[in-house]
Amino acid sequence: MSLFGGTIQSLENSLQYASVKNQTIANNIANVDTPNYKAKSVQFNNVLNEELSKGFKTTRTDARHLDFSTESSAVRVTTNTGSTYNHNGNNVDVDKEMTDLAKNQIYYQALVDRINGKFSSLQSVIRGGN
Amino acid sequence: MSIFNAINTSGSGLTAQRLRMDTISSNIANADTTRATVNENGEYEPYRRKMTVFSSKGQSFSSVLNQATAGSSNTGSGVKVSDIEEDDEPFQLVYNPNHPDANDDGYVEVPNVDPLQEMVDMMSATRSYEANVTALNASKTMLMKALEIGK
Repeated sequence: MSLFGGTIQSLENSLQYASVKNQTIANNIANVDTPNYKAKSVQFNNVLNEELSKGFKTTRTDARHLDFSTESSAVRVTTNTGSTYNHNGNNVDVDKEMTDLAKNQIYYQALVDRINGKFSSLQSVIRGGN
Repeated sequence: MSIFNAINTSGSGLTAQRLRMDTISSNIANADTTRATVNENGEYEPYRRKMTVFSSKGQSFSSVLNQATAGSSNTGSGVKVSDIEEDDEPFQLVYNPNHPDANDDGYVEVPNVDPLQEMVDMMSATRSYEANVTALNASKTMLMKALEIGK
C-alpha cells in the first residue's frame, strides 16, 4: 500500500479541473464583448473514465482506426454552441460566469485545505503522534 | 501552459476594454470636430466615429491544431482588438450659416457621433472592465492559495 493512497491523486485531479475552469471563466469574461464568441465550459470526466475502464474494453483491429483513449487529461474543455444571448452572436452569460467564478474559488480553497489536512495527518503519523 | 494563463487572459480583457474606452473618449471629445481630415478634393471632412472590433485570441487554425495535437485542453487565451473601424454612417447636416465650414446653403456637416450611443457603450466598457478585474483577483487568490500547499 502506498504512503499517500489515492486521496492526493484525486485532489490533484480536482485542482487541475478547478484551475482549467478558472482559466475558462477568465477567458469567457475577457470575451464578453467579442462578436460571435461562444462560451466555453469544462467537463470533469474522471468518474466517466473510471467507469469506462471497468467494463468497456475496446480493441483496434486496424492501425488506422482512431484510438479510444485519446483523452489523456481528466478535464475537457467544450464550447457551448447553439445558443445566443446577445444580438452579436455572443452567448456569454456574465451572471453565470461570475457565480461560477465565486464557486470555483471556494472549491479550490477547499481542495487546498484538504490537501494540507492530508499532509498534516501524514506528518502526525510519521512523528508517531508527537 | 503557464500558471499565469488566467491572469494573462484577464489582462488582455483589461487592455481591450481600456482601448475601447479610449476610442469612446475620442468619439465624445470629437463630437463637434468639423475639420478632422482633408479629403481628395482638398476639403475638410468632419470626424468619423470610430469603433473597436474584438476577436478572441487562440482561435486561429494553427493554435487550435497545436492544442489538439499536444493533447492539452484549449481554454483560449483572451481577447484582442483586431481592428479600429470607422463608422460609415453619413454625416448629419445642421443649419448654421455663420459657421466657417458651412456650405452655400448654410448647412454644416457635423460628425456622425451620437453621444447617447457613446454613453451606453462607455457603461458597457466600464462594467466589462470591472468583471475582468474581479476575475483577475479571483485567479490571484487561487494562486496565492496554491502556494500554501504543504505549508
